[in-house]
Amino acid sequence: MAVYTFYIFDRHTECVYVKSWTPPTQAAGASPAPAISAGSDDAKLVFGTVFSLRNMARKLGGDDDAFISYRTGQYKLHFYETPANLRFVMITDTASASMRNVLHQIYINLWVEYVVKNPLAPVEHKGGAGIKNELFERGLDQFIRGMM
Amino acid sequence: MAASKASRIGEEIWKTRIDKVNAELVTLTYGTIVAQLCKDFEDDYPEVNRQLDKMGYNIGLRLIEDYLAKSNTMKRCSNFRETADMISRVGFKIFLNITPQVTNWTTDNNSFSLVFDENPFADFVELPDDGRAQNELWYSNILCGVLRGALEMVQMQVEAHFISDVLRGNDTTEMRVTLIRYIDDELPPEDD
Amino acid sequence: MSYYFAIVGTQDNPLFEYEFGTSKQGGDGQSRFTEQVRHLNQFILHSSLDIAEEVQWSHGQMYLKCIDKFFNNYISCFVTGGNVKFLLLHQPTTPTSTATSRSSTAIGANPTSPATEEAIKMFFTEVYDNWVKAIMNPFYKVNMEVRSPIFRARVAAAGRKYL
Repeated sequence: MAVYTFYIFDRHTECVYVKSWTPPTQAAGASPAPAISAGSDDAKLVFGTVFSLRNMARKLGGDDDAFISYRTGQYKLHFYETPANLRFVMITDTASASMRNVLHQIYINLWVEYVVKNPLAPVEHKGGAGIKNELFERGLDQFIRGMM
Repeated sequence: MAASKASRIGEEIWKTRIDKVNAELVTLTYGTIVAQLCKDFEDDYPEVNRQLDKMGYNIGLRLIEDYLAKSNTMKRCSNFRETADMISRVGFKIFLNITPQVTNWTTDNNSFSLVFDENPFADFVELPDDGRAQNELWYSNILCGVLRGALEMVQMQVEAHFISDVLRGNDTTEMRVTLIRYIDDELPPEDD
Repeated sequence: MSYYFAIVGTQDNPLFEYEFGTSKQGGDGQSRFTEQVRHLNQFILHSSLDIAEEVQWSHGQMYLKCIDKFFNNYISCFVTGGNVKFLLLHQPTTPTSTATSRSSTAIGANPTSPATEEAIKMFFTEVYDNWVKAIMNPFYKVNMEVRSPIFRARVAAAGRKYL
């Protein structure tokens, strides 16, 4: 399994965190990672997509319905939203199972513990400043690499 | 969600997932904050109330995330009555180990009271006898701010204030919480 | 039997005072000090502070029992961990012809008897409990006079209960 990119969007639709991984070794014959860069335009596109899909899912499936993931020929996009409108997006290879639980774990074990509970970290990240939190980044990196 | 189920969840989380801290430490820490505010603002109690509310608001913005992470209820309350039950039986339970009564609903279900039978912040406290504190200071006003901040993060704009306090000599400690509106999702800025 | 209770701060400053009479043996809880004696009481207590400060280091107890005597006034002392002193002046009623064997069993009739010492100890301990609660009030500052009516009521209750 490979994780390509990971995004966090806050309730103001701002991308507050983005990180890309390149798989350590490409197995022979495996398709190369899609060229998903961490550029800000991509983040905007990703947000626009998941936001629309989420709204559509709710419209068709009722207010409690949630958009979970979609898949293309090259990658799979996983989406998870908390009641406080924090959105987690993870892009992986097509073979991976549901990452909903993984995203939930990232939220409760890393985001809440290291970012929210750090009294010196700001609550809002205006202007796409993004979070710079070593504990969070290290924890996330370990967690993701542990899965790959 | 039924109230009894909320109680069970609150109890369960309190028992298994909460780090406990000495109650006197909490009481004294909070007491020191209030006393220091009174000193800093030269006993301007309305201003102290505002400061407490503001501090609570900033706590609430963060505390809601901890609440969501601990309670594991990744689902919105279906109505304000359910919200009230969850505040009392899960929120207050896991953070302060108290369960204030939810009562005095208005007929439109948009406003209710929390009646505190016990208040860990107010142990040992006697308000200053300067003739004003009894009428002006809401000692536990930080709680109003916490609710306002926490509910704002889950898209509910509320107004909360105390209407009575045993510290002032009232029979009960009662907080009034009123739903103003549900906040809409923020939309991404339009691309030019 | 009349009592005068005072709490003295670390700067030898008075923090609290309360006067009461015995409630045992049909006492009405009222003190029988005269107006002149009232002033004298404060002096007597104050003068006993020197002795209290000497005695407090001689044994590790908080309750120092009866430390001083001035004519018919006996002073018992209790020192808190914060070096605040509780002083109780007790003045046994001078035996009159009507009071015979009955009054001798009363608490305080014999100020240095173990029964009296124990009763005063119970009183001090209860006051100490309430004292701690009173000074935990965030609006209380060290060495400030205690004006809390609740504390006063609790001291009165302890007095009624044990003395």
